[in-house]
Amino acid sequence: MDSTALLLARIQFGMTAFFHFLYPPLTIGLGLLLVITEGTYIFTKDQEYLRVTRFFAKLFAINFVVGVASGIVMEFQFGTNWAQYSSFVGAIFGSPLAIEGLFAFFMESIFVGVMLLGWNRLSAKAHWISTILVAFGSTLSGVWILVANSWMQTPAGYKIGSNGIPKMTNFWHMVFNPYFPSEFTHVIMGAWEYSAFFMAGVAAWFLIKNNKDMVMRKALKVAVIVGVIVACGQIIVGDIGAREVVKYQPTKLAMMEALWHSQKYAPETLFALPNNATESNGPHIGIPGMLSMLSYLNPAAKVMGLNAAIRYINKKDSKLDHTKLTLAMFPPVWIVFWSFHIMMYFGFYFALVMLIALYFLLKDKLFDSPKMLKLLWFSTFLPLIAIELGWFTTEIGRQPFTVYGLLTTVDSVSKNVSVVDVGLSITMFVLIYITLASFAVYLFKRELRERVEGKDELAGESAKAQIK
Amino acid sequence: MNLNILWFILVAVIILGWSVMDGFDYGVGGLLNFIAKNDEEKRYVINAIGPVWDGNQVWLILGGGAVFAAFPLVYASIFSGFYLAMMLVVWLIIFRAVSFEFRSKVESIKWRNFWDADITVTGLGIALLLGVAIANILMGVPLNKEHIDYQSLFSLLNVFGLAGGLISLSMFLMHGSTYLIMKTEGEVQQRARAFAKGFAVAFIIVTLLFLIISPIFAPRLLGNSFGVIGDVVPAIMLIGAIGVILTAGSSSDIKPFAYSIIAIIGAVASLAVGIFPNIVPSSINAKYSLNIYNSASNHLTLLVMLIATVIGLPLVLIYAIYAYKKFGLKVKMDDSSY
Repeated sequence: MDSTALLLARIQFGMTAFFHFLYPPLTIGLGLLLVITEGTYIFTKDQEYLRVTRFFAKLFAINFVVGVASGIVMEFQFGTNWAQYSSFVGAIFGSPLAIEGLFAFFMESIFVGVMLLGWNRLSAKAHWISTILVAFGSTLSGVWILVANSWMQTPAGYKIGSNGIPKMTNFWHMVFNPYFPSEFTHVIMGAWEYSAFFMAGVAAWFLIKNNKDMVMRKALKVAVIVGVIVACGQIIVGDIGAREVVKYQPTKLAMMEALWHSQKYAPETLFALPNNATESNGPHIGIPGMLSMLSYLNPAAKVMGLNAAIRYINKKDSKLDHTKLTLAMFPPVWIVFWSFHIMMYFGFYFALVMLIALYFLLKDKLFDSPKMLKLLWFSTFLPLIAIELGWFTTEIGRQPFTVYGLLTTVDSVSKNVSVVDVGLSITMFVLIYITLASFAVYLFKRELRERVEGKDELAGESAKAQIK
Repeated sequence: MNLNILWFILVAVIILGWSVMDGFDYGVGGLLNFIAKNDEEKRYVINAIGPVWDGNQVWLILGGGAVFAAFPLVYASIFSGFYLAMMLVVWLIIFRAVSFEFRSKVESIKWRNFWDADITVTGLGIALLLGVAIANILMGVPLNKEHIDYQSLFSLLNVFGLAGGLISLSMFLMHGSTYLIMKTEGEVQQRARAFAKGFAVAFIIVTLLFLIISPIFAPRLLGNSFGVIGDVVPAIMLIGAIGVILTAGSSSDIKPFAYSIIAIIGAVASLAVGIFPNIVPSSINAKYSLNIYNSASNHLTLLVMLIATVIGLPLVLIYAIYAYKKFGLKVKMDDSSY
């Protein structure tokens, strides 16, 4: 295999996955928030909650279609660029993807049409049920996609067949592989967290312009209440997830924490400049014993360093035929270290911001504090950065494997796709994604501007008719 | 009947579901700039598929997932072997997926003209490329001993591939026209009736042409596993298309669409019958072909997937029926339409 073609295939996968995942978190999370706001409207008959729902449904629609458009390539790309991977694990990995289409994506996509275009055709309750099915379908879609991804992290429910190819031996073991519960919870909560910040940020933007905007006050209230629960919960969930990594992916954990050599009282490094060539961290600050504490709930516990972890995996997988690992096959540790740490710092920042916002809300000062509103507006898209950094951590941290301990990335790539082919497709994807993102941003801004200019989210009196 | 045969049939059913349900979306898209004269008419046509196109598109996702899970070697060989063609389809689908929503958001003429062209070109492009890919598979793909195919995009654009492309293009345009007969009224419907007739005639001509040249390019189609019975299956395509011609001008709004579905059933059945038990025949050596046995997943995967499909597909149909019912037979525009 040509190493340039491999590099390009990896760049393309990383880029298309990065771009795609800018959108589904908002589909999943805003879906839930719309269920809450529309449900509040139905039970309280408060028109303002309907207006919140209808305005954010417009933003939802723009985000949704870009997510759908960029998602299609994800399903095809395993076959086009990673044919060796696909023929090796397709019998196991393909099934959650097919089931996702059947049980989740159909539900989400059929009802999204009903939800977005059916405001005047359904009773208020029936419409709300459509919204619930969209939110439920998109979350369920997340379940199956994360089954597939977590299986790549901690493969289970399979056996290597006589032809050397893994075959499924237990479907439910595959689905509930060790990493699935914590990864799923972490990713879905990340989606809710981002969506709460998104709704809060957009509402804050309107309130900065006009703090008597009652509709946006309600949106902000809902967003802060959901946001504070999710942002605080996420810290706990993240902590649990990291301990799963300790158990199952020692090389990833060592890279996340820039731990080169095994040690007792291992420090939680807060700042470091890890260098693969010298296998050291340069100037660094850490809390002694903290990593041991977080990993094993015991400050004296020994945590495996990267070198020891590599030896451990080589020994554990000695019966498998993947190449013996060496440090040279691993990614630069600083990428994994910093992706993980910045995400983590963001996590604390989000909880702090939401707690302060809640304090302001309870003191009834939230809508009158331009500084707080500006902070929320400033933070609108920060969770998206944290989400992407989380994916950097988990995907780059899994290297040099595609399926941890089972198949290396080098052995996964298509043999028959040339450098020219991938070069051409990357170029096109860059152009297409820049175009799509620009359109999406333009349309988002336009929706915001139109609302400021007084084009109401309720066209005509149709919504009033609905409440009967 | 074993699981491998069952899965071959199920994949054919999913391809059929996709062609029937998403096929008219591509057809309507491809017709947009020809059948609608002004923005009002264009919105009318777009809203015929507006609430349902996204759900329909999932058939494609399901098809990809089903082939990946049931016949992973087919998924790997075809998608990597047809690399740039696949990418081209993906790009077209991307630009189509955003078009309806984006178009409706801004009222400027330039903006809307851009998206109208986009909807038309992507609809035509996808409809054409589908047939090109399938005809090439029917003809045989240069799979080597490892079932890997090294060929370029341009080698797909041969006479037989293009003939296949014209079949799928005319078929989806016919299907889209008959769908519009069902969903619209007035002038647009009158035009749709004329288009349906025209494309049905074109479909018959290119299909006959394809059948005539088949023995030269894909002799295995005539030597299929079903003998004489297999050879007459393509007649269903022609019967459906003739039905469209006979009913398109009549007072019935639904019959042309029903006949169009029959034509599509004929096309997918001909494809399945012609290729069975292979899925991707090798043009280098028949021994290197991928068939329903050497490309399939193990028994448990096929069984689990079968159970999932038996439970899941009826649910999909229930959702779809609900959605189609809520929006009624004829398009009615309101303030939440595209």
